[in-house]
Amino acid sequence: MALRHIVGRRTKTIVIAVAAYLIAILFVLPYVEMISVAVRPKSELLSRALFPVNADFSNFLTIWSTGFGSNLGTSLQVAGGATLLVLLVALPAAYYTSRREFRGRAVFLLLVLATQMFQPAAMLVGIQREFLSFNLPSPIISLILINAGFNMAFAVWILNAFFGSIPVELEEAAMVDGCSRLGAVRRITLPLAMPGIVTALIFTFISAWNEFLVALTLTLGSSADQRPLTVTINDYIGQYSIDWGHLFAGSLVATVPIIVLFALIEGRVVSGLTAGAIK
Amino acid sequence: MTTTSHQRIPKSRLRLWPQLEPLVWIGPAILLIGIVVIWPVIVMIQSSFQSISPDGFVLGNAGSANFRSLFSEPALAGVLLRTAIWVIGVVAITMLISLALAQLFNAKFPGRRIARWALIVPWASSVMMTSLIFRWALNSNNGVVNVILHKLGVLTAYNSVQADWLGRPGTALAWMMVVAVFVSLPFSTYALLSGLQSIPDEVYEAAHIDGAGWWHRFRSITLPLLRPAIVVAALINVINVFNSFPIIWEMTRGGPAYTTSTTTTFMYTLKQSFIGESAALSVINFSIVIVIVLIFLRVTRWKDQVK
Amino acid sequence: MKSIATRRIVAAAAVLATASLALSACTGTADSAAGPKVTLKLVAADYGTGPTNTSQKYWEDIAAAFHKANPSITVKVQTINWNDFDTQVQTMVQNKQYPDVTEGDYYTTYAKEGLLYPATSVLSNPGNLLSAFKQQGSYNGVQYGLPFTTSSRTLFYNKALFTKAGISDAPKTWADIQTDASKISALGKIGFGLPFGSEEAQAEALLWTMGNDGGYQDGGKYTINSQANIETFQFLNKLVAAGDTEPNPASQNRTDLWQTFAQGQVGMINGSPGLVPIIQKAAVLKDSDWASVQIAGKNGPLEKTLGVCDNVAAFKANGHQAAIKKFLDFTYQDANQLTFDREYDLLPATNSGAKALANDPLFGGFIKGLPNSVQYPSDTTWPQLKTKIQQTIGTAITSNPKPALDQLQTASQAAS
Repeated sequence: MALRHIVGRRTKTIVIAVAAYLIAILFVLPYVEMISVAVRPKSELLSRALFPVNADFSNFLTIWSTGFGSNLGTSLQVAGGATLLVLLVALPAAYYTSRREFRGRAVFLLLVLATQMFQPAAMLVGIQREFLSFNLPSPIISLILINAGFNMAFAVWILNAFFGSIPVELEEAAMVDGCSRLGAVRRITLPLAMPGIVTALIFTFISAWNEFLVALTLTLGSSADQRPLTVTINDYIGQYSIDWGHLFAGSLVATVPIIVLFALIEGRVVSGLTAGAIK
Repeated sequence: MTTTSHQRIPKSRLRLWPQLEPLVWIGPAILLIGIVVIWPVIVMIQSSFQSISPDGFVLGNAGSANFRSLFSEPALAGVLLRTAIWVIGVVAITMLISLALAQLFNAKFPGRRIARWALIVPWASSVMMTSLIFRWALNSNNGVVNVILHKLGVLTAYNSVQADWLGRPGTALAWMMVVAVFVSLPFSTYALLSGLQSIPDEVYEAAHIDGAGWWHRFRSITLPLLRPAIVVAALINVINVFNSFPIIWEMTRGGPAYTTSTTTTFMYTLKQSFIGESAALSVINFSIVIVIVLIFLRVTRWKDQVK
Repeated sequence: MKSIATRRIVAAAAVLATASLALSACTGTADSAAGPKVTLKLVAADYGTGPTNTSQKYWEDIAAAFHKANPSITVKVQTINWNDFDTQVQTMVQNKQYPDVTEGDYYTTYAKEGLLYPATSVLSNPGNLLSAFKQQGSYNGVQYGLPFTTSSRTLFYNKALFTKAGISDAPKTWADIQTDASKISALGKIGFGLPFGSEEAQAEALLWTMGNDGGYQDGGKYTINSQANIETFQFLNKLVAAGDTEPNPASQNRTDLWQTFAQGQVGMINGSPGLVPIIQKAAVLKDSDWASVQIAGKNGPLEKTLGVCDNVAAFKANGHQAAIKKFLDFTYQDANQLTFDREYDLLPATNSGAKALANDPLFGGFIKGLPNSVQYPSDTTWPQLKTKIQQTIGTAITSNPKPALDQLQTASQAAS
């Protein structure tokens, strides 16, 4: 009886595992196809073979001569700038709201919660016209501000939760030991909140890196080398019909590091996105 | 915290710092939200009442002309209906599938961590690039989907009307919904997984001893306890799918004519030459978003969270 | 053929180079060679068929030669593919990231909004521009759009496929097209390539409506939903329904379909000289496998051709008038004009350039037709209307055309 039970359980686990692996493969399949197109030589782009016969990695080399490097640089500036800005703005706000009761605290958090649900798409015309009126020297600055603004809520929320879970007593104990308030925060609170900070930073970086609509709207008039990657890759469409090889080689270069970064924070993203509504 | 005004005035000097202190900490955040989120809304509403040339010059006040020409757009009714199908269809299918996936990935099996990593790939990747690989795969000459369908005997001829999935509005929309579901699944599954993990094992064990079957346990324990997670995930998906631009843009650009356009892509198409009208549509889009946000705030009981 | 032409070009260039030098010396203004350094932003459409002959290369060569002659002026070149050209230039203007010079489509609205220099301020000899296209580039009687290159449309057909299908003559009438297309589609190929996707639907639609004495305008008034046009689209409906075209023409773009023609998969297609290099590059069709004839109309070949003119426009915003003038004088030299037209199989837009090519076996005929050609509307309604046509007219070939044409007619009245 017991043996049958164990055997039954084992079969069940195997069935579940196989199903889960199959689904996992299904999720990765489109990106495998991306690789398969990126390594197809030009002569095989019209071929109906599922995989390239003479795989060829030249697209990954020639893409750099198209100015892709400077587009990568622009994306780094936008994503890096937005991440830094979010850190500077969200960290104090999250710390203060988790430690202090003050007038307007609830309103502030409501504002943050509401902006979390807003996306640039619904107010694109306003964004475009507003940022034009600022006459900023480069659309990169606009993109940094916009990406920071729309991703700040996530950071405030997840950091607020992290700070909230660190007992005030720890800070106070450090202060008794001779630390100043800021010193206590720096030595005790920040290190403890580090997983939250890293999550917020990586999440902001990825969102800004992948952002397409605002970048498309604001940098279509910039010179080609000042556009972020998403806009550049979109540009491969229509140029001499579609340059699929470079398109997907570029996509892979842009995507693989991001997936690795995301894997680092995978477990904590949900709580930030749902503002902790799902515990 | 409420103070009447006559109490505050004499003490104002003393209390100046406590009143300003919060601003030092949260001021930058408020400023950023103000510039990036709130101001554009004001500019957008203002633009919707202006007559704006295709090159972005304000020609004067338009009154309600932008809204009138928007409502007389012959394509608008179709766009609105399609948006409803797009949002409801994608979110409903996403939630159903992710409910199953969450159960599956909540079970213990060797290699679960790696399998879960595979799940996040479409989430981390740019939606625009994911859409492009699907566009490639649906190419009527040698797209991998068509190659496989041809091998299975479903597709009779390459380069035919049948193989041109993205050329026909109906099949194009269906395929774009597939992509939208595909990229929405990871977040939804993770959200439900995290909901499932918050259900204590004891609850199931008790039911097990009671001899309840799988379906019964699912209906009477899992589903009710998971309800908040389902609702929150669904609402976030509604917002995401409603605002989604890259999928439709990269696969059909909303065409032929506007027959695969939703309000978001239609807004973008209009913005090219009819800025005021596009702003008018944005105002409507934004109002819809506001309604969804209000529902979200209500079901998440934001006051409890702020506490 | 090519070498003779080249020699002729070089000779002409020598003469003109001296002429324009003299001219620019007379008109030199404040920022002369010794003046402050200026960088001009040039945005041009890409006429190339691949990285080897991209217009980026053409313009960078010009820019380098120009910089050598005028060390204080640097020209930064940005080329944009045709699919996105209008959108991107318009977005530049919307975003106030103004270029100094654009080459490609030109919109009267830019002139209306006072963004452009008139031709007389940025070209020493505007009288040399083909007068046939003057009207199209003018607003309120002042010319702002400078014709840069022109082309006309003809019907290309695949002779090899025609022979295979047992057809001996080129199509002359719509009836010919119908029978020929069905014979070719019976071979499993595309009978008639009909690019009604948003890239160039406005051109394809005009070519067909011209065949029935229709068009967008009659005497300067929009007549998009005229009976003649409705009949035209009813004919196209029949052609599409019979399966004699590619699948879903409403979502097929010209660039893609031209490639398909070059691959030998299409029997007939309306093309411009720009299709020739694509055919040659694909190297599937031999020169004897294809031919180009006057576009077939309802009852016979069109007498007038559609003359398309791409314009240069010079933007005021950055205040680089003198530098722009120097640069345009340089680019409009015959040698540079002709190199460009040779490279992309297009036609010149200057009198002297046209004269130099008048006896050319390939281009001569096209050039003769230009003064008599039909052109797109050029009023300020056109930019908005064109976008609408590109996006929606495709629906008129797969269903009752009347509603779609009615809507466009309404739009032509509403836009202003």
